[in-house]
Amino acid sequence: MIKINKLSKRYGDGQDALTNINFEIGKGEMSFVTGHSGAGKSTLLKLILAIEKPSGGDLIVNGLNLNKLSRREIPYHRRKIGTVFQDHQLLTDRTVFENVLLPLEISGFPVEDAKRRVRAALDKVGLLKKEKIFPAALSGGEQQRVGIARAVVNRPSIILADEPTGNLDPNLSAEVMKVFEQFKNVGVSLLVASHDTSLIKTLNYRVIHLDHGRMVNDIGISNE
Amino acid sequence: MAEWLMISELAMNKVKAANRQNQASHRGNDVSALQIHRKIALDSAKRLILSPLSSLMTIVVIAVSLLLPALLFGLNENLQSILLEFQNSARITLFLDNSVSESQGQKVSDDLLTDNTIQSAIYVSATKALEEFSLSSGLGEVLRSLSSNPLPAAVIITPATLNTREVNALSQRLETISEVDFIQLDSQWINRLSALSDLISIVGQLLAAIVITGLFFIIGNTIKLSIENRRQEIQVIKLVGGTDIYIARPFLYTGLLFGILGGSVAVFLQLIILIMLNGSLQELIQLYSSNFELRGFGFFNSLSLVITGALVGWLGAFLASFRYIRGVNP
Ligand SMILES: Nc1ncnc2c1ncn2[C@@H]1O[C@H](COP(=O)(O)OP(=O)(O)OP(=O)(O)O)[C@@H](O)[C@H]1O
Ligand SMILES: [Mg+2]
Repeated sequence: MIKINKLSKRYGDGQDALTNINFEIGKGEMSFVTGHSGAGKSTLLKLILAIEKPSGGDLIVNGLNLNKLSRREIPYHRRKIGTVFQDHQLLTDRTVFENVLLPLEISGFPVEDAKRRVRAALDKVGLLKKEKIFPAALSGGEQQRVGIARAVVNRPSIILADEPTGNLDPNLSAEVMKVFEQFKNVGVSLLVASHDTSLIKTLNYRVIHLDHGRMVNDIGISNE
Repeated sequence: MAEWLMISELAMNKVKAANRQNQASHRGNDVSALQIHRKIALDSAKRLILSPLSSLMTIVVIAVSLLLPALLFGLNENLQSILLEFQNSARITLFLDNSVSESQGQKVSDDLLTDNTIQSAIYVSATKALEEFSLSSGLGEVLRSLSSNPLPAAVIITPATLNTREVNALSQRLETISEVDFIQLDSQWINRLSALSDLISIVGQLLAAIVITGLFFIIGNTIKLSIENRRQEIQVIKLVGGTDIYIARPFLYTGLLFGILGGSVAVFLQLIILIMLNGSLQELIQLYSSNFELRGFGFFNSLSLVITGALVGWLGAFLASFRYIRGVNP
């Protein structure tokens, strides 16, 4: 699903954010990305989402080489990926319901079906009762969960999550991981960037460790 | 996928329960496929109302810009219809020497009828001219008290052609007739009016072109500002896979609304101007023709003004939104 080969990213100011990244995530696989602040975790996700362009190497997502992706194709590429953003990226003037509806609205989903899916997604993250509330009136953790609901509502084949549990207590974090595992079990590929080493340890998935943009000891899948 | 369905089922049951709880307060969220456009249009309208002052400014600027060429075109349409009416009755009046008797005058008139460039020739004696004039002017008493008739006898000619050069040639020939004192070519002022009408038409077209170009910039700038204001929202929509067309839609509606409202205000202003000018306009028109009706400001002209506004608004928004939306990147 995601194939990364000799990938590197240098920002315009000469900052090397990623150097020689190689890994692969197959269908129904989940991996974590860890590393210090500024290690390049968000950059990696941004490259997969075609928010940034690689400086070198290849990135193949859903069989598409992102180096060959045209401007027009980018939205359709992003629709196949559900993303939880580090800074939530919610629309402040839309309700929780409307925020989660957005990906379905964009792709012109049948309305009744869309509503059902939005409620199912909100229920997964325990926010069904807050559907009519605006994001500003939610706690950081609740906003994060709205972001998670929005990422999964489209039933994407890939889920990217950037610090999805950053604002959550251990219980909620475990809940969110369970939701992710459910998706993994139905064939979704997941890449989760996280600082939360204690959580990662309890889960025993493959961990890609970044240090100043370089991969160090890719731990691999220890057990399942 | 089976698992998903199961989870969905589970969720649906909870949803039903939640729905029952807040049925009364439950509205909104009802986006049917056909209602999406209506929803976006309403949304755009709401945004216009949210910043009433700047919206009003934009609308008034559009209205005034559209009004100027519209007034010129309207004026010209009236000129054209006056011209049309008179061109059918372009006349040459031959005023005869005072020494010419009535029978001589009648003979001049009859002779002219044999000329095939002349359609009709009517002899009007001095007495008849005075009669008609006292009737039409209402100065009968005054005129009757005069000792002698100040008006000359005349032959009124309708040329068989409307071609200016032919009419001019004819009038030159007529001037050489010995009984004729002087001639008056009624088509002279028609020619002047026609030239004026052409000028107004050209000025109107130029003005319309300038105004429409200006409106593209004004609407483009308005759209640019509202895109700037909604930058964050656009970024989010782009992040979850919204196409430029999807993002542009509300802005296109905004442009369309501005155009329609601007056009409507222009129609309204035009109406006010016409009402204010009504008295003097009627007087002016009466001088030229008794059965003249003001045209160029009716329903279809008003409608086309609104439609022009709508087109310019939409196109201006179209050009601007794609340009600026392209520049907003997450
Ligand atoms: N748009 C940008 N322009 C220039 N440099 C950037 C840009 N975005 C990130 N960087 C730099 O690239 C490096 C990697 O940043 P990145 O955001 O990927 O880190 P991260 O691992 O996600 O950190 P954190 O855990 O704090 O979120 C950092 O040194 C950062 O300063
Ligand atoms: Mg980050």
